[in-house]
Amino acid sequence: MTNCENLRESIGRWLDGELSPSESAAVEAHVAACAECGEARRQLESLQRALTGVLVTDAAPIEFIPFWREVQRRINSKRAWYEDISEWAREFFTAPRVAWGVPVAIVLVLAVVSLDSYFPWMRFGGGRNNFASVESIDGHGRSVALLRENDSKTTVIWLYQNEEGENETGEDGSKSGPTF
Amino acid sequence: MELSDRELVQKCQAGEMHAFEDLVSRYHQKVYMVILGMLRNREDALEVAQETFFRAFRKINSFQGDSSFYTWIYRIAVNMSIDAQRRQKRNPLEFRESMDSVMEAQNETAKDPFAEVHDKELRARLIKAINDLTPEHKAVIVLRTIEGRSYKDIGEILGCSEGTVMSRLHYARKKLQDKLSAFL
Repeated sequence: MTNCENLRESIGRWLDGELSPSESAAVEAHVAACAECGEARRQLESLQRALTGVLVTDAAPIEFIPFWREVQRRINSKRAWYEDISEWAREFFTAPRVAWGVPVAIVLVLAVVSLDSYFPWMRFGGGRNNFASVESIDGHGRSVALLRENDSKTTVIWLYQNEEGENETGEDGSKSGPTF
Repeated sequence: MELSDRELVQKCQAGEMHAFEDLVSRYHQKVYMVILGMLRNREDALEVAQETFFRAFRKINSFQGDSSFYTWIYRIAVNMSIDAQRRQKRNPLEFRESMDSVMEAQNETAKDPFAEVHDKELRARLIKAINDLTPEHKAVIVLRTIEGRSYKDIGEILGCSEGTVMSRLHYARKKLQDKLSAFL
């Protein structure tokens, strides 16, 4: 970044009176000598004048008495409970809080879920049960059975054709056992 | 003898309604101006300003005096304005009303017809450019322009550092300058 670019960033602070005396003197001397920075200063001052005009012109004075009466009316009127909750929620759930809160909540949930893997004896997830299921694959007697045994972490899958299905089809009358 | 803000707050906390009325009369215009600067609509600004003082009254007992009353009330006002602005669906009618009022005011003061046209165009574009700023950028521009607050004060009101205020002001002005480069 050139000297001009560095100083140009300070012109706003200089015009706002936010620089130290020595910094102000340095910026002032540079702006007086540099045409481009002098133009940047002129543009900033012009913008500030326009801003003052727009923001202050719009703000016509308001009468105090009606303003105060309305504030008083709000103070004296009882609000519904949901308005109080809504007000509290709007103040509590600010953008930074939500931005931090959502990842923290996700991490906490994952931590609780994974505790069961590291400390199974604590049974955080209520303990994992052994699992077994039998499903018909094609509606013609062929089925799959699944057994998950949690303690030894063993999964056994049977693919077999049951006898009922065989009788229904009546192809060869032989009995088939489970296929591993 | 006029009481200080701190004394009036203490009286409010003791239950004296007149003390709160004095505080409202002291700050209602400035608070309204800041809110109007952010919302650009008179009715919305009046509504938010009244709600600001209502909430201040409800929370006055929790005000510890760590900061000045004006910092505290402005913080409520700015937060409510940012909240209102996020919920506000921009209504073209409201925008037109806002621009018309500015132009009417300008008609009373401008003498040179060329300068008048230039100023009208500049103001119309400036209002649009301000409306396009983020609520955070708008807040620093409004507090600096209307109130002339120091970066430190603005930081206290917005709950951020002086460095953040400086950075936001720099980028907000840059955005405005980019959009108005032909008119400045």
